Amino acid sequence: MATLASPAATQTHVAVLGTLAEFHHEPIPYDLPALVRLVGELRPDLLCLDMTPQQWADRDFGDLPPEYRDALLPLAHQTDIVVVPVAGNSPPPEPTASGWRGGVIAVLRRLLAYLQRTAAGPTALNDGPRHHVADFLYSVIAWLAGPDTVRAWKTYTGELVTQVREVARRDPGRRILVVVNLRHCHHIRPALRRYPEIEVVSHADL
Amino acid sequence: MPAHSPPTQVVIYATTRLRREAWRTLLSGQPGITVAGEAADAARVGALLRPGSPGSVLIDDAGPLPEIARQLKAALPEAGLLFLVPVYDVAGIVELLRAGASGCLSLEDSIADVARAAVAVGRGEIVLPPPVATRTLAALARGDSTAPAGVSGTGLVEPLSERETDVLRLLAQGLTNKDIAQTLMLSVRTVEAHLRSVYGKLAVRSRTEAALWAVRHGYGPRAE
Repeated sequence: MATLASPAATQTHVAVLGTLAEFHHEPIPYDLPALVRLVGELRPDLLCLDMTPQQWADRDFGDLPPEYRDALLPLAHQTDIVVVPVAGNSPPPEPTASGWRGGVIAVLRRLLAYLQRTAAGPTALNDGPRHHVADFLYSVIAWLAGPDTVRAWKTYTGELVTQVREVARRDPGRRILVVVNLRHCHHIRPALRRYPEIEVVSHADL
Repeated sequence: MPAHSPPTQVVIYATTRLRREAWRTLLSGQPGITVAGEAADAARVGALLRPGSPGSVLIDDAGPLPEIARQLKAALPEAGLLFLVPVYDVAGIVELLRAGASGCLSLEDSIADVARAAVAVGRGEIVLPPPVATRTLAALARGDSTAPAGVSGTGLVEPLSERETDVLRLLAQGLTNKDIAQTLMLSVRTVEAHLRSVYGKLAVRSRTEAALWAVRHGYGPRAE
């Protein structure tokens, strides 16, 4: 008779793939089929997405970024990939500020858009300096917006980590791919590494 | 590297050329399947499926469907048989299942649904249209006089765990493994492992037997 692996005996592999989701609404060429091919080839057991359980239950995908709505959700529907919504609450609003801080945020966002526009594909945003530059820009944007914004995003990222860990606890030994905005990646990975039952790997090694 | 399941080979069975070509075009490029060929008669279908890999036959034909199911089942006992039906009629679906069909969809379903169903029946799953799944299983259970070997009354070889009970309840609603997995937010491989355990505890040999056992023992929702 088949038995299920116990959590203690099996490590769960988790990869975190970052995207610049908010820019997909803008007229920036972004190769969604490339993202579909990438995730289709990885074929994770579980795909954690930054959406609320309520959005999933209601099939309310209208406000989701195109990478979810037009790429990953249709892919999951047609394959064995199981979607797990891991957002706790509604995300904090995009960081804003008045005066010169607002002006700098606008410039930094243009830089982020440039990174998106010039990325060869989804892997380009997750490998090499582009990944770190984008993370740095997001950090500066949050800092410019003020401590409340920094705190709100930290809390939100913490909720994502809690939910991903719960998924790994519930279904140990499986291959989990987390696809979230790039701003979360550098916080989620080290947070998950603290748990011995989870092995954080690059998406290429999932 | 991930250990992917091999793609499901799908053979298209239709007596008209236009339907065969249309289905080939629609299904080519769908994830998880490869179109292995087209045929207009049951004898030719067998030659198109490669042994050792999951295989299914998509039947889009106006002929007497139960008879086609019997012929195909005799020729290909291991393959899943997915029928496209004009309307969801419980009696007709039950007759088809008894003749050897693995499931059915209607022409109102999407190509993504057809592709998913072809994969599911290729793995030995039953695919029933959600609107009539419960009634179909209940009708099958009423007419099924063969009790699974080793089980009498409500007897179980071993008690089911809470998660296995969840899986069995969803199986009794006619859900596929993917749908069960998505409902419980577990991986498909975990659901498959739970099902293998359930089969052992129920002393049944197949998914159909487990689903009918569940319906007879009140695990499914009440039929409307």
